[in-house]
Amino acid sequence: MTSLLELREKLIRFYGKNEVLIKPIIKFIVSFAIFFTINKYIGYMSRISKISVVLILSLISAVMPAGIMIFLAAAVILANLFALSLEVCIVALVLFLLIFLLYFRFAPKSEYDMCLMPLCFQMGIPQVMPLAMGLVRGVYSVFSIICGTVLYFFLQGVYQNAATLGAASEVGEDTASKIVVLINQLLGNKEMYLVLGIFFVTVLIVYLIRRMSIENAWTIAIISGTLFEAIGLTAGYILMEIQGKIILTLIGSGISCLIAFLLQFLFFNLDYSRTERLQFEDDEYYYYVKAVPKAIVSKTEKKVKRFTGKEEHLTKKQFAEELDIDEELLD
Amino acid sequence: MVNEERLSHMIKIARFDTYDDKTCKPMAQYARRDYVSLQMLKSFITGSLVYALIFGMWCLYYMQSLMEELNNINLQESAMTLGISYAVWIVVYEAVTYIIYQLRYTRGRRKIKSYYASLKKVNQMYEREEKLKIPEEKAWDS
Repeated sequence: MTSLLELREKLIRFYGKNEVLIKPIIKFIVSFAIFFTINKYIGYMSRISKISVVLILSLISAVMPAGIMIFLAAAVILANLFALSLEVCIVALVLFLLIFLLYFRFAPKSEYDMCLMPLCFQMGIPQVMPLAMGLVRGVYSVFSIICGTVLYFFLQGVYQNAATLGAASEVGEDTASKIVVLINQLLGNKEMYLVLGIFFVTVLIVYLIRRMSIENAWTIAIISGTLFEAIGLTAGYILMEIQGKIILTLIGSGISCLIAFLLQFLFFNLDYSRTERLQFEDDEYYYYVKAVPKAIVSKTEKKVKRFTGKEEHLTKKQFAEELDIDEELLD
Repeated sequence: MVNEERLSHMIKIARFDTYDDKTCKPMAQYARRDYVSLQMLKSFITGSLVYALIFGMWCLYYMQSLMEELNNINLQESAMTLGISYAVWIVVYEAVTYIIYQLRYTRGRRKIKSYYASLKKVNQMYEREEKLKIPEEKAWDS
């Protein structure tokens, strides 16, 4: 366990020292995954569905604030949907505007949470997000889960009905019918409601247990959350007679549980305060302050005591010297 | 020589200037009531936009049946339903805004308070240093 704590310590120090480099790299990887997934599944516009475009957009997102990444991702989705059908693009635009007006107005700093949700769905481990949000964020993160889930099911619906939605249409009835198909597949999706309900409750369960003043609160929270998700989703799929999802759900829950334990290892009882760089001046000096977060556990001082046969036969004199006492006291 | 105590306060001030200044500035400028009112006004606009968007989508969704029933629609009743649903939505949205920004204002003011306390302390330190400098200069002059 101590070696694990030391490893964690090293990771924190490494992150603290190289935060300037690590942060853009992580942002680049996440952005690349997002743009790549978008183009892989709904890349209807061939001009922007090239890997070079994905790389350029990921590089821009890596060095710019998270809001820019969200804006670019939304623009790429809208452009692709526009190439598919104008009606789909309009519905997507309305959906994005609703998310922006309802959610980002109150929580402007949680852009990545919402983007990671569809990505996790695509990777087959959506269960990890409610667990992670409950562990490292507050109750408000429920809304990012809801927005991300709705966005995923919307895009999945577009992907599945691409042939119908992309068919050439005459202005008038066909336009309205496409919108009806699109809204129907979203609002009539029972699986979406099931997932939303289960994830909503999971975030609350994990958050409330994690905040309790009990021993191993984080571990109990993870296990409870995972069990609730696995059982809830499995039962829901059986009741709704949705085939072929149960095994994937159970595997996804298992992987999510492992990732949640990894998060516990990395974040439990730790403040990942960033390295801060501040500049200011007074009458006499210019100050360039680099505040590096303090490490918590120092390197273990290894003490190895050997009890060999040789040492068992200490002479009285040696023993007295070792204890730093008078030899006569041992008589 | 660098004054360490002053430096720690200056770091606190610089940290606030770098990370919290933008979000906390309106809280220093406005009284609680004015700040929350301003946010509620913004929410009124965004809430109305949300309602308009949802209403627009609803119209598109039911376009066919709306066109068929156009002559039979009781306009007064429909307007009433629309008005009531809008009012309910705005009240809920404004209530959420009120709670969120009340909490944010309390938190932000706490940060501003500690920022001004640090500023005050740094100021006092400067004043004390100035006072200590004066007799030395006088002695040197004479």
